[in-house]
Amino acid sequence: MLNPLRSEAEAFRLLIYFVAVVAVIVAVVLLAEALT
Amino acid sequence: MEAAAITHAEHHGPPPAHRSSRVEAPTLGMLLFIISEVMIFGAFFTAYFFIRVVNHDPWPAPGTTLPENVAGVNTAILLSSSLTLHWALTSIKNGNRFGLRAGMLSTFLLGLTFLTVQINEYIHIGFAGHDSAQATVFYSLTGLHGAHVLIGLCALAMVTIRAFRGHYSPENHRGVEVPGIYWHFVDIMWIVVYTTVYVI
Repeated sequence: MLNPLRSEAEAFRLLIYFVAVVAVIVAVVLLAEALT
Repeated sequence: MEAAAITHAEHHGPPPAHRSSRVEAPTLGMLLFIISEVMIFGAFFTAYFFIRVVNHDPWPAPGTTLPENVAGVNTAILLSSSLTLHWALTSIKNGNRFGLRAGMLSTFLLGLTFLTVQINEYIHIGFAGHDSAQATVFYSLTGLHGAHVLIGLCALAMVTIRAFRGHYSPENHRGVEVPGIYWHFVDIMWIVVYTTVYVI
């Protein structure tokens, strides 16, 4: 299981996942705003 | 029995402090620290969501604009600093001292650039914190994050100086690892701040 407090490498991996998830959420929200 | 006697004979100083066998002390310290940090940011985000979700006030305040593009470039700069930090630590794990030094110096300079752009943004943004509730929340959120960047820069400066003085090795790089975790946390918080304040 990913533990970002265990090492810098795992914290970095969490950052990458976080950026990807936020990018998807922002894309969905902006798309929804554009369509409504 | 003989081994125990030898161990007892070699031990000097006070007995080791009591500690949990399940969680390492540095990890526990960082965990408690980050939990407290999330609570601080949470308090500021509560004010933000109160304005936008409960009151349905416009964001930003009427007559003001936020420099989304500059902040976007600044976000890229901060994310790049995480990349160079990861490069620095990977380098020292592989015994590459040049990679450590170049990576740490790049990380520090990128972080410094981020903070400089942020201060420049404050100078030219055209509204003050007391102008509106939105302005107060804007300065509070970005300022709180900026303070974290400043603290991170102090830690990075120390690590960079130590790296240039020949510290750290493939076996001993804890001093880079822990500030690295903190720096990635600061980046994650910025993604949240940037998304909520500038984008959505």
